[in-house]
Amino acid sequence: MKNEFKLPFYLAFQSIRRGRKWTLILTIVLMAVAFINLIFVSALFNGIVQGSNQQVINTMTGNIYMNPKQGTDYISNKNELIKNTENVNGVQAATSSFQIPARIEYNSRTGRWPILAINPTEYSKVINISEKMSYGKYLDNNDDDKIIIGRQIVGGKDVELNSTSLKGVSVGDKVNVIFDGFEKKFTVKGIFYTKFIESDTRAFITEKALKNIAPKMIDNATTVNVKTANNQQDAVLKKLQSQNPSLDVFMWSEAAGMMKSTSTSFTSINALLTFVGVIIASVTTFIVIYVDIINRRRQIGILRAIGIKPYIIVSSYAIIAAVYATLGILLGSLIFQFVLVPYFIANPFTLPIADAVLNLTWLEYISRVEIVSWVAVISGIIPAILVTRTKMLDAIIGK
Amino acid sequence: MKNEKSAIVINSIKKSYKSGGNITHAVNNISLEIPFGEFLMITGRNGSGKSTLMHLMALLDNPNSGEIFINGEKVSDLHESQKMKLRLESLGYIFQEYALIQELTALENVMLPALMINKFSVAKKQAVSLLKKVDLKDKMKRLPSQLSGGEQQRVAIARSLVNNPKIIFADEPTANLDSVASKHILDIFKKLNNQDNITIAMVTHEPEEYIYASRIINLRDGKLNEK
Repeated sequence: MKNEFKLPFYLAFQSIRRGRKWTLILTIVLMAVAFINLIFVSALFNGIVQGSNQQVINTMTGNIYMNPKQGTDYISNKNELIKNTENVNGVQAATSSFQIPARIEYNSRTGRWPILAINPTEYSKVINISEKMSYGKYLDNNDDDKIIIGRQIVGGKDVELNSTSLKGVSVGDKVNVIFDGFEKKFTVKGIFYTKFIESDTRAFITEKALKNIAPKMIDNATTVNVKTANNQQDAVLKKLQSQNPSLDVFMWSEAAGMMKSTSTSFTSINALLTFVGVIIASVTTFIVIYVDIINRRRQIGILRAIGIKPYIIVSSYAIIAAVYATLGILLGSLIFQFVLVPYFIANPFTLPIADAVLNLTWLEYISRVEIVSWVAVISGIIPAILVTRTKMLDAIIGK
Repeated sequence: MKNEKSAIVINSIKKSYKSGGNITHAVNNISLEIPFGEFLMITGRNGSGKSTLMHLMALLDNPNSGEIFINGEKVSDLHESQKMKLRLESLGYIFQEYALIQELTALENVMLPALMINKFSVAKKQAVSLLKKVDLKDKMKRLPSQLSGGEQQRVAIARSLVNNPKIIFADEPTANLDSVASKHILDIFKKLNNQDNITIAMVTHEPEEYIYASRIINLRDGKLNEK
């Protein structure tokens, strides 16, 4: 029995080597498609969730943000706080904004939206509003009578909050900013559109303009936004919390608001569709391998007739199925990584809340590989067992 | 009826099939003894039960009733795994349709049963020797699809001999072959029977092949008519 344990590998190897090439190729392609189907949906929904989260981080809060504690109106000595924050290991940049409790008025329409006074250059190192200008230009540090406003304030036919918007203000128009009895005209320099409603219901002026409106507030901030290295968020949060006990220090997710529930919904849909995908991939894999093995029924009968033990026959088909799965997964992974991912980076899915690219974690990838591999092996074993249990002569004659 | 000098003994064996509402008695109460070294030919019309009898004797199918002894040992009640071991080590079977594994070369087909018992190198040596014996030394690396019908049947014969069985069953081995290839196969059988004292039980339709047999039996409607 010296070769007994090697025999399944020998039979599997020869079967793959000398079997019909087109059948082999078709089987591998089908396995690859089943695998891609399984990972694509997860990757897409991950991409949407990640895109939504990035919207909050990039357009609104940074990775971490600091507010004055309840009962306090603002953070004083903001420059010192920013300097100390930037010295924390893992912090890439920090910036501040001062929210003015003001109204914006245009023609006969008026509304109350957050107006943030910022240093445009420093702010753009943390928050990417400067990259989201759909009309006009971003602020310069020296602009003292210019304002940029979000799409939800501007309004328009397709805008979600059109009914409460200024309805039709455009670049170059003048709007009134009314602040604590003080009124100043600002020219709309640009309109930004981040796709994140809470971000698009804000307006920005420069700190230089704030100095004219409220000179005493120039050293104060209502929020400090912090950008961290990707893997340093938690450590930086802890450090900033211990370093600034007089402030509320939050992770970006605390401000996600509607985006948070959207992300949660997508995560749930992802789980459901992944489950459906697993079933589809399992059934596809099973059918592909089952048909292949049933077509070899006569061969299995002959092997039994000449005295080859059933477990050797079943093992050889399990090995063949595992090889199909490995090559299918390999092909699917190559197509996914080198065709689909680059394509969707170049042409992201444009969704109302964010632009999404494909994103799959290693853990998810490995779990999908395991699923397809196990299904394939089981799909090899079950029909082989069934055939080895049918009447030998029926298998050979093809009854 | 049990004789330890007999290669095969069958006692009152029956096999019937249900087809639709009808029962067909393919083998109907046959008793038969095949001594060691005999070259038995089984003849009869289509549907007379020749192949069924052959399948039962070669342990490829189970009788409804009756006993089968091989080399003096009762085998009809053995567990399937024991029958498989017996088929592997003591019996050779040659199908009418050759029954070769299409993805293996002639050499690999012949080696296959030997690999269950021996090392690769030993199995290969045995297979090469047998392929020489059936005049296929030059074609042993060919796949079955690259061989003629007669050559494929010779590969099947070599495969049936690889574990040195003392009994060979052949179910119409020449049915798909021309007269030259048929003669070649029968000459090999005769040589195996005469020189190696291998017991051969063979089903045939061809009267001109009877000259090779040491005994001929005829089946009719599942019953035995010894000639």
